[in-house]
Amino acid sequence: MIKSLLLTFLLSLGLSIHGTSQEKFTVSGYVQDASNGENLIGATVYIKEIESGAVTNFYGFYSVTLSPGTYNFEFRYLGFDGLSLEITLNQNKRLDLELIPEGTELEEIIIEAEPEDINVSGVQMSTNKLDIQSIQKLPSFFGEVDVLKSIQTLPGVTTVGEGTTGFNVRGGGVGQNLVLLDEAPVYNSSHLLGFFSVFNPDAVKDIKLIKGGIPARYGGRIASILDIRMKEGNSKKFTAQGGVGSIFSRLAVEGPIKKDKASFIVAARRSYVDVFAKAFTDVLSDGAALNFYDVTLKTNYDINANNRIFLSGYFGRDNFKFDERQGFNWGNTTTTLRWNHLYNDRLFSNLTLFYSNYDYELAFGEDDLDKFNWNSEIDTYDLKQEFTYFINPNNELSFGADILLYNFEPANAIGVSNGESRDISIPEKKALESSAYISNDQTIGDRVTIQYGLRFSNFMYLGKGQYFEFDQPEPGIRRRVTDTFEADKFEVIKNYANLEPRASIKYQLPTNSSLKASYNRTAQYIHLVSNTTASNPLDIWTPSTNNITPQTGQQWALGYFRNFGANNSIETSIETYYKNTTNQIDYIDGADILINEFLEGDLLSGKGRAYGLEFFAKKNGGRINGWVSYTIARTELQVDGINNNQWYPTRFDQLHNLKIAAFYETPGRWSFAANFSLISGTPTTFPTSRFQVQDYTIPLNFFNSRNNIRIPAFHRLDISATLQGRKMKRGKTRKNENYWVFGVYNVYARRNPFSIYFAQVDERPIGGNPIETQATRVSIIGTLLPSISYNFKF
Amino acid sequence: MIFSFNQHIIRNRVIVERFILLLFVGVLNLSCEDQINPTLEEAPPLMVVDAWINNKNETQIIKLSRSQSYFDNSVANPIIGATVTIEDSEGLVYSFIEQEEGSYQWDPIAGIPFGQVGLGYNLNIQTSDATYTSISAMNRVPLVDSITFRFEKKNFILPDSYWAEFWSRDLPGIGDTYWIKSYKNGQFLNNPDEINIAFDAGFSEGGNIDGLLFIPPIRDLINPFDQDEDDDFLSPFSDGDEVVVEIFSINRDAFIFLNETALQINRPGGFGELFATPLSNVPTNITSSNPEETVVGFFNVSAVSINSKVLNVNEVPRN
Repeated sequence: MIKSLLLTFLLSLGLSIHGTSQEKFTVSGYVQDASNGENLIGATVYIKEIESGAVTNFYGFYSVTLSPGTYNFEFRYLGFDGLSLEITLNQNKRLDLELIPEGTELEEIIIEAEPEDINVSGVQMSTNKLDIQSIQKLPSFFGEVDVLKSIQTLPGVTTVGEGTTGFNVRGGGVGQNLVLLDEAPVYNSSHLLGFFSVFNPDAVKDIKLIKGGIPARYGGRIASILDIRMKEGNSKKFTAQGGVGSIFSRLAVEGPIKKDKASFIVAARRSYVDVFAKAFTDVLSDGAALNFYDVTLKTNYDINANNRIFLSGYFGRDNFKFDERQGFNWGNTTTTLRWNHLYNDRLFSNLTLFYSNYDYELAFGEDDLDKFNWNSEIDTYDLKQEFTYFINPNNELSFGADILLYNFEPANAIGVSNGESRDISIPEKKALESSAYISNDQTIGDRVTIQYGLRFSNFMYLGKGQYFEFDQPEPGIRRRVTDTFEADKFEVIKNYANLEPRASIKYQLPTNSSLKASYNRTAQYIHLVSNTTASNPLDIWTPSTNNITPQTGQQWALGYFRNFGANNSIETSIETYYKNTTNQIDYIDGADILINEFLEGDLLSGKGRAYGLEFFAKKNGGRINGWVSYTIARTELQVDGINNNQWYPTRFDQLHNLKIAAFYETPGRWSFAANFSLISGTPTTFPTSRFQVQDYTIPLNFFNSRNNIRIPAFHRLDISATLQGRKMKRGKTRKNENYWVFGVYNVYARRNPFSIYFAQVDERPIGGNPIETQATRVSIIGTLLPSISYNFKF
Repeated sequence: MIFSFNQHIIRNRVIVERFILLLFVGVLNLSCEDQINPTLEEAPPLMVVDAWINNKNETQIIKLSRSQSYFDNSVANPIIGATVTIEDSEGLVYSFIEQEEGSYQWDPIAGIPFGQVGLGYNLNIQTSDATYTSISAMNRVPLVDSITFRFEKKNFILPDSYWAEFWSRDLPGIGDTYWIKSYKNGQFLNNPDEINIAFDAGFSEGGNIDGLLFIPPIRDLINPFDQDEDDDFLSPFSDGDEVVVEIFSINRDAFIFLNETALQINRPGGFGELFATPLSNVPTNITSSNPEETVVGFFNVSAVSINSKVLNVNEVPRN
């Protein structure tokens, strides 16, 4: 019903636009990087005469429709020389062009680039883009360039602590971020429990973090969207890049399959310590293993001016094996097929088909007579159609629909004891999430741009299988099954639907500044079940069911954006937000979340609120550049059955969060970078008292409170120095580039607290004697870590 | 599931950590720990009931004490002068007499131990402040059929070592819960990471492993996992060592109590803190008649089966 209404609306809109299109013409095309043929995402197309223009989309496409006449077009992209063209418009024009990276010697006519000010002039707020060059310069853990760690330098982004999986955005949980790699969700973004992220920097082109004002095209998570786009591969020439770091060795190869028509990239990384260690120790005999790796592949084919296809894939795995038979492993697999099609020069279409899987596997037991094997996975199949209709310079309409099938396998587990086995698997669960959206970017007059849209989402928890009804004891107590029902295959057990309005507005102020405001409502139908301090690879995703209600979130944000200096070299912003969320999951004490058929009975549901103020200043260009972000924020939950039903701060609540990233480039071959963090201590729960039962000393929090104390503040400085290889060799320019990166993580070796735990001393208690109890502060990284890496490109 | 499974992981965690250290940074230890002395909120003491009764032919003890500040490392204050009785479902009353301060005891009469499998028990404690009550039942327990030893050759963590395993079959029928206690040369293995409980033959209620021999992690948890002064691991057992294994039937709420107790007190520290659960209060099954006088602790009645074995290395094949 709603869908047919939507369709009618779209059709009528389309017709009316066509009705007036006779006296106007369209300029459209792709903007690419001249050096490698990569599409430029977010390049601006500015038309002087109308003081307005367009921005290229995720595929580098733009379209502008104007009355006949002569116009001055300017094409700009940060880090590239701008390009100015005079275009006389008397018919529709296809204009694919290439921009040249700054600093490249050229004979062509270049204009002095007009300032890039999309951060001020664009309607989108609460969004940060990090280019891969900046990420590569940031000092990092073990010298390994890390996409996820680098976004933690942005305002509003926090983590529970060092070494933890994932990140928290504006008070959202780790499982409330939608991490997309070429449109496919990545369910666990970490290697080695959380020390490294799964994205190979050599294959990443563009990273966009959306913290608020989430456009209608995105949905499914309530906190943020991290949209990572992979490189398409150099369509001009073959290149290879790679490196040897402290942890990974990396190699990426890219090149044309057919020049300017088709290209590919293959990028792989693998930890290599095990290979190295084999020479020195026999630890890895008996089939023991410790390694992690990932492979990223992408290829694209420009069929013709109106059709282009992309195929990309990711495969990554972590392996820990104690011996031949015992150990665990986990990893993600994603595959994305996309088809860009231009129905006409104003209607851009992208059809995406993707598959995403996350699975883990554990095995214990010395032989087949006694073993315990367990695996768990989540599969996602998705079909998504998106359209962008470039109506005129003042209106850009996006609409689309998405259908997503989930298959959850919480546990396929078998226990064998002395040859007798028991299958303790939990039946798989299926769900279908579908959505449709429409959104318009509209410019009104000189000063106002609005983006308004609506997303409709629907979720069906499907059979076949058993589903349960639980009793309702006082919150905090395990709920017991009172009734069991059987559902047939694909029978809808429970249906949920949500309307998700989205709106953003920008008001341009004089002096290169603007005010922006946004509102969004989002719904999340699948939940990451994790009751440990940090998320871990064994955490499972579970769908909304007849007992678990979807989470929803609302966010209001207001921001002031202003640029300073020539060429907008300094960007600043202040943003404030308020969020409230419903149906936040928490856990009863002692919750049994792994291999538990009646998991729903151990979950609690509550509400959340988060608010904060974010400051951001960034200097682009110049010998000294970098950014500073500071956030003051609160994140709280209220869950019946926890903290006497009162509000309590989440484990990742941080009042103050200051991050500084600074870069200094010398005129010579050296460049330096530093990264500093100062973060308020996160909350934790301290006991008040202790008591003894059966000679075990048990902590007691008399007030029954949660997160009542804060651990001390965290601060850390990391530095790195990069030495570029010589550019010239025997008077000639070298074809190959190479550079060394030397880094020190945690320069002053601070033992930053991760947590404080309370326990009896680690010695066997003697019955009747007093038992000593103590508090211990744990630092995950308690020392400084030097690193070195060698990188090359040719 | 989580408790025993975690415990298994935690034991393996030591291995994993060492492994990572070995492979990554050699001697460089990334995580580190410091003892600290934070100030804790003041809280009034609570009544603590420690009433775990069994049918072994020995003195049965109920301890009454007061909770104390977490860093107060003295012996807990006893509660004296209480009247403590247990009455079974057939009306038989067992009186517990205060033999030491706060220690209320009952001795078998004529060699007849406490209780009978299948009966229910009501605990009643009267102090000057309130009456405290609780109920439990003595559930069935399977025999410990045998104990065996196996040899495992040296690996990168452990030296050549002898491991004990006990063999016992969970009684058919879902919902039996057990606490397995083990002793090495008479010493009860009572480290927090040695709490060994079973739901049927497996880890947890959700696990649903009924009627099997106890599964390997449970069989293995009877081994001590001690280190010497140099932090090197020791073989769990050596020639001539005796292991005693006792299976206590426990009530389901006692299983939950022990499960949560283990989660709270078994804190391995280090990288393990990444995966710790928040501190929370363990449940109690004791009720107070006076809402002003809150109580913590637990009452449980168990039937016990016992077996033991002395390690003779000549009988253990070294393959």
